[in-house]
Amino acid sequence: MRVTSMVPDMQYDIQQSQQTLNTALQQVASGLRVNQLSDDPSASANMVSSLATSASVDQYTTNDTAATSLMQTADSAFSSLVTSLNSAITIGTEGANSTENTSNRQALASQLQGILTDVIGQANTTYQGAYIFGGSATTTPPFVAASTTYTSANGSAASPLSAATALTAGSVTSISDATTGQTMVFKAKAGNTIATLQAAIASAVSAGTLSAGTTATINASEQLQIGSAGGIVVSSNDAVLGSMSAVSGTSVANAYAYVGNSNINTVQVGDSMNIATNVPGNTVFTLGANVLGSLSGLISALQGGNTTSIGNATTAVSTAVNYVAEQRVPLDNNITQLNSQESFLSQEKVTLTTQQTSLVGINLAEASSNLSQAELDNNAALAAAAKAMPNSLLTYLQQ
Amino acid sequence: MGSLSTSLSIAVQSLNAASGSLQITNNNIANANTPGYSREVANLQEGPSEPEGNYSEGTGVVLAGYQSVRDELVQNQIQQETQSQSQANAQLATMQQIEPTFTTSTDDIGTQMSALFSSISALSTSPTSSSARQSVLTAGQNLVTAFNSASSTLTTQQTSLNTQVSQDVSQINQLSQQIAALNPQLVQAQATGQDTGTMQDQQDQLVLKLSALTNVAITQTNDGVTLTTGNGTPLVVGSQSYNLQTETGTGGMTQVLDQNGTNITGSIASGDLGGTIQTRDTTIPGLMTQLDTLANQVGTAFNTAQAAGTDQNGNAGQDFFNVPTTVAGSAGAISMALSDPAQIAASSDGTAGGTGNLTAFSAIQTAALPSGKTPSDAYSSLVYQVGSLTANANAESSATTASLKQLNDQLASVSGVSIDEESANLITYQQAYEAAARVVSTIQSLFSVTMSMGTAAAE
Repeated sequence: MRVTSMVPDMQYDIQQSQQTLNTALQQVASGLRVNQLSDDPSASANMVSSLATSASVDQYTTNDTAATSLMQTADSAFSSLVTSLNSAITIGTEGANSTENTSNRQALASQLQGILTDVIGQANTTYQGAYIFGGSATTTPPFVAASTTYTSANGSAASPLSAATALTAGSVTSISDATTGQTMVFKAKAGNTIATLQAAIASAVSAGTLSAGTTATINASEQLQIGSAGGIVVSSNDAVLGSMSAVSGTSVANAYAYVGNSNINTVQVGDSMNIATNVPGNTVFTLGANVLGSLSGLISALQGGNTTSIGNATTAVSTAVNYVAEQRVPLDNNITQLNSQESFLSQEKVTLTTQQTSLVGINLAEASSNLSQAELDNNAALAAAAKAMPNSLLTYLQQ
Repeated sequence: MGSLSTSLSIAVQSLNAASGSLQITNNNIANANTPGYSREVANLQEGPSEPEGNYSEGTGVVLAGYQSVRDELVQNQIQQETQSQSQANAQLATMQQIEPTFTTSTDDIGTQMSALFSSISALSTSPTSSSARQSVLTAGQNLVTAFNSASSTLTTQQTSLNTQVSQDVSQINQLSQQIAALNPQLVQAQATGQDTGTMQDQQDQLVLKLSALTNVAITQTNDGVTLTTGNGTPLVVGSQSYNLQTETGTGGMTQVLDQNGTNITGSIASGDLGGTIQTRDTTIPGLMTQLDTLANQVGTAFNTAQAAGTDQNGNAGQDFFNVPTTVAGSAGAISMALSDPAQIAASSDGTAGGTGNLTAFSAIQTAALPSGKTPSDAYSSLVYQVGSLTANANAESSATTASLKQLNDQLASVSGVSIDEESANLITYQQAYEAAARVVSTIQSLFSVTMSMGTAAAE
């Protein structure tokens, strides 16, 4: 073949070797084999899924840590609760001793009131501003001091409420009973009146949700009045009734009602793993062995001075301690589960990082050797060009 | 028997031949680096012999003219390959502009989608935290920005390609006119036996430029070269050139029409115009549809999840995103509908601290959209397509570049100027000239001797 000029070929070769050198250099400098999608479209697409999984794993790890902290706070509250209840048992045992006199028993009852206040504090524990024993109602304290009588803001001689007064459809009125530890929630439908609410309360009393004697009446001031001797907490968002508030001086000593709900919030810590992060306060403090009720009972027994009653009430608190221990088990199990999930996620992260490195990362030894080879090739191309370019017949003719 | 005058005449012809050859060597050296130049060689022929009794005598050398050394077949292959190269380059240039938008970064769609799902997951640990709620809104807005920005990149590229169509058509018309103008000159020069090398080079270069713009079929006729594009639309026939026209079609896209007003946009297969039209009308709309579908379906899925829950104030969840009713244009038009962090419908039981409905949001990440793919899979499929289109255009561009280099080497081996060869020719013709000059000088001295013979006899 007749060769006319070597310049285009040399330029092409130099260009090619420089491109290879540039690629090798970029790979070593970035640590990545795939710097743009077109370097390996398939690996780039797989990276999208891998990075999405990675982001989920990172978030699950953060959620795990946050849930663990929250549940450890709940667990601490349980610890304190057990300590408080054990103190109450000691006080009760002391009070049941027939040698104790009335004055001592009153002093013991006062101590126990302090313990009850502590327990309410534990029941209203917050984590980062949210009440952890309120179910999904985390914005307000779940345990509220109960009163015997609540009246509506609306209703007057000029504008009286009556059994026939229509309620606002969709509005919610709830009555939390300190004695039963349960809550009646009445959601008004179209056409419901105060009489409907009164009937619902009567049904709740029959069902045992509310204590016997809980009634809703229209008082002398033409307001709706809801009352219960054992103590209740009433709330309503019905504009017809206005807000419900406790009548001054009707608070019941040592009685607290649960105004939270029974819902459980969960946190996702794995693709198909959700962990319950809260224990609704009613299951711990008012239902079952009724922790709060047993403490109130012991206070009353100490104040009454009957050793048999004190003994029985102390036994009730002992039962409550065991009940609390039972309730604590699922919580502790969840903490254990969160710890093992954290280890799993950390391992998963390592696996994903390895996968990502193999998808788009470089093998350093191979990339370094490629770089050396590319440098060598480039130098050779330049040296060959430098050697060949000045060669011309004219050069020799001039000599 | 030949006379001194005959010898002198032969020597003068020799001088002419050597001088002419030197001139053509000079011209070759001068044009050694001129693009498209085909080397020329002197056509030296032996002079007709003259009978002298029983034998005949040579009459020297005749410079019959110059001949351009060409290989039309390779030239034609170069033109064809140039069409493919320009098409691949047009596609590559656009895809390289689009590629970074879909490359994993801090603000690409994939990253922003993951960030949105992470922010929702984080909200489940503190549903009443206003900063956690604000994070969800911010992540939602970032995803909207990523969709809008990707859509804008595709639209901008499409608009810029649309402008390129008009520019290409204008250049094609200009080149067609120049090629057509050369046809009669070439035909006339060939008819009169003139050297057409320079004109041929000029026309080949123009056809090459035209090949870089569109697919061109070349036919040699008695009236010169005939060029057609598309599926046979004439551009040049003899001395006549036919201008392509443009008109604005659906969606503002410039359409290419032949001289009769027939739309030939779809039949422009290669060259810059072919690559530009293909990228504008097929590649980008394909990507845009996938992007719009993803934006529309993800947006709708979030709105459905919102509607299933209640916000922090106990109200039924409102739309999360403003999603257009039609899929087309969704990625560009999607926007945030929520403005207040409290409006995120995290709760399923109406309480402010409820997180029951967040699972509906999280489920979007793993559930198949109406397209049959999860959001992440749909996006990774889009990423694969962008990467694959760019890689294919790149490979095609590299392959045609290598192939063109090969063809150019082949053509240069025939038509290219070798400085070494021309240097040797220079010496050869210089020596030939010197030798012929010596013959003239010898004949001159012979003439002098002959002339002085008479003078000496007289003395």
